[in-house]
Amino acid sequence: MTLSSQPSRLLALLLFAVSAVGLAACAGGAEGANDGTGPVQLLVFGAPEELEAYRTLVAAYEVAEPGAEVQLVEASDREDLIARLGTSIAGGSPPDLFLMNYRYYGQFAATDAIEPLDERIAASDVVDPDAYYPTAMNAFQWQDRQLCLPQNVSSLAVYYNRDLFEQYDVAEPPADWTWSDLLTTAIATTRDAGGAVVRGTESEGGPPQVAVYGLGIEPTIIRVAPFVWSNGGEIVDDLDRPTRFTLDTPAAREALQNIIDLRIAYGVIPTDAEVEAEDDETRFLNGRLAMLMSSRRFTTTLRASAGFDWDVASLPVYANQVGVLHSDAYCMTRGSGRKDAAWRFLEYAMSADGQRTTAATGRTVPSMIEVSTSSSFLDPTLPPANAQVFLDAIATVRPLPTISTWPELEDVTAGILENALYRGDRLDDAIREIDELTRPIFARGEHAAD
Amino acid sequence: MTDGPVVDEPMVDEPMIDKPMIDKPVVVERDREHRALGLMLAPYVLGIVALVLIPFLVTIVMAFADYDLVRAPSWVGLDNFVELADDPIFRAALSNSLLFAAIAVPLRLVIALGLALLLHRRAAAVGTARTAAMLPYAVPEIAYGLLWLWLLNPLYGPINQLLRVGGENGATVLGRTPPQWLTDPVDARAAIILMSLFTIGETFVILLATRRALPGEVYELAAIEDATGWDVVRRVTLPLMAPVLVLLLLRDAILSLQISFVPALVVTDGGPPPYSTTYLSLFVYRNAFEYLRYGYAAAATAVMLLLTLAAVALQWRLVRRLRWLGRT
Repeated sequence: MTLSSQPSRLLALLLFAVSAVGLAACAGGAEGANDGTGPVQLLVFGAPEELEAYRTLVAAYEVAEPGAEVQLVEASDREDLIARLGTSIAGGSPPDLFLMNYRYYGQFAATDAIEPLDERIAASDVVDPDAYYPTAMNAFQWQDRQLCLPQNVSSLAVYYNRDLFEQYDVAEPPADWTWSDLLTTAIATTRDAGGAVVRGTESEGGPPQVAVYGLGIEPTIIRVAPFVWSNGGEIVDDLDRPTRFTLDTPAAREALQNIIDLRIAYGVIPTDAEVEAEDDETRFLNGRLAMLMSSRRFTTTLRASAGFDWDVASLPVYANQVGVLHSDAYCMTRGSGRKDAAWRFLEYAMSADGQRTTAATGRTVPSMIEVSTSSSFLDPTLPPANAQVFLDAIATVRPLPTISTWPELEDVTAGILENALYRGDRLDDAIREIDELTRPIFARGEHAAD
Repeated sequence: MTDGPVVDEPMVDEPMIDKPMIDKPVVVERDREHRALGLMLAPYVLGIVALVLIPFLVTIVMAFADYDLVRAPSWVGLDNFVELADDPIFRAALSNSLLFAAIAVPLRLVIALGLALLLHRRAAAVGTARTAAMLPYAVPEIAYGLLWLWLLNPLYGPINQLLRVGGENGATVLGRTPPQWLTDPVDARAAIILMSLFTIGETFVILLATRRALPGEVYELAAIEDATGWDVVRRVTLPLMAPVLVLLLLRDAILSLQISFVPALVVTDGGPPPYSTTYLSLFVYRNAFEYLRYGYAAAATAVMLLLTLAAVALQWRLVRRLRWLGRT
């Protein structure tokens, strides 16, 4: 049989045609995704309970605006969201809206990939900038332009298992507790299987047999920052145009050492192997962690899954009551093909109705002042009973710097702090390593204030 | 015959005067074949050009630019490479990748060869054993990674549970702490290599087919000469399989820079700190897709390509040297 026979030629032609059609379809698909038709695409990530909150908001919008359609595009985590966003922007087919924390939106703001919203806000009858917490609004201003609108505003809080506190006869955290109180409480709630107080540090008798740890805290800058501030220290040398971390000051160093001592000296937080085996949130949900430092986002998971009584307390203090800002905002991509439709959804999400809907899911502390103080957020029938803690903290929260290279800075510092916390690396070495590795990253960064 | 010009014609075996009469249909036939071949190859050529060659060229150009995917790229010359040379994370990724290749590639080949030699005969349950050897290769990479995340769980994972059997206070029967797969740098690197040793299905199948295709006569001859099993493997099987083994060695060396990506991303997340299982592929991914530093990532990719070329060239020279030694 020769290649020139009729069936072979037909096969070749067929293959060529299929390839050509396939390529054309791919090209057409890429264009069609952002040609102004179809639903508004909103890119988000979160735990299943958080995603359910966004679905609730979208459903409420589609009821309020018959005919409007919003498609939720769900990323698996923050890294996945950034990867999807970056590649889709480069491919000319970005989502119309995305939800992002103020710590991470800088890299997109710096590249001019986000549509400024000032004109739309000025023309809107729904979005009044004065109706929202200024701390959250300011966090999304890049070079004097309002790039995104904050959905929520929150601070770090201490979630605690009330059943465990009652079982161990330990007093619940008071409103004005100190770091020392936190340590005492964590020690008192770190127990073995028999309920006896135990120190979860390595000893000659083998690894510790801890059934319940007192506290869960991630070794990250955002967890460390409020304690450094509260102790009178600073995280960076200049909030507007940072060039380096300033963790080498006595105040910052003391706050860091106290966090490291939680593991190394007192053994009140799980070991690295235990965290790898079961992360802090799961451990808390399973009743094996008495307290956990987290933001408001953990509330939805707890409401859905916790089989025990729980509440929240404010962050303990050193000298001053200081919180760290947690805020996510809706941002519109400059390459969106449905900007008007996206803005209509954004208006709804930022309206009192939209904010009430999201607040009712438990996911957010609403950024709208009026809604945050209403029963939609402070619903006495739903935990946490002490939800006012989140509102009280807003007056004291401070933001981390908004710089385009912040994701890299967080990743680099997290690894070094992790080794200091779990392996006991010398703190001075860790601080020096952080300084050496992050200076070039700071130098590459672009700032909101530029 | 023709006149004068004939003396300038090249020397040919056949008389020139017959050529047009015989070749015309052959040439037409050959043209048709070429056209058909061209058409059949067109989709693949198109695919290679669009999906391999152009991205390759773009990557090489991008390596000399500062590019964030959104703003226009700006030419920075060798800056990206200079920064790479000073970047401790890149250096860690580079050494991790080389270590992985140096250990995983030969181990994967030896295990696949061992299995192929063990399972090439007809025997009871040999089909099941071959399927078992092939199966991990058929599992999607992410699912495979998640499975190992569970297997390697330091407290609840079955591997460490098994290692603790007979021991006390969470130690093994030898009184040692079981490997801390996800928190100790050395153990984590071992875990990634361990994961790679089970996805040898394709290599195993190729070697199995190669072994089965070897002529039986040489083995009969070896049996007549009372050759021991080891002699047969060393002097008959391995030399006959050598070309395929070399090909697979080269292929695995190239692949080694890629197959560590998913395990490092899904199972260890590049850690434990500091960057114990951050390989070049993960370094490139993070810089490109998480930090939007495509130019920098492209420079790292160029280094990866150079490494691949160097590894292939080195092995090629080694093989040629061995062949030369064999002949002499």
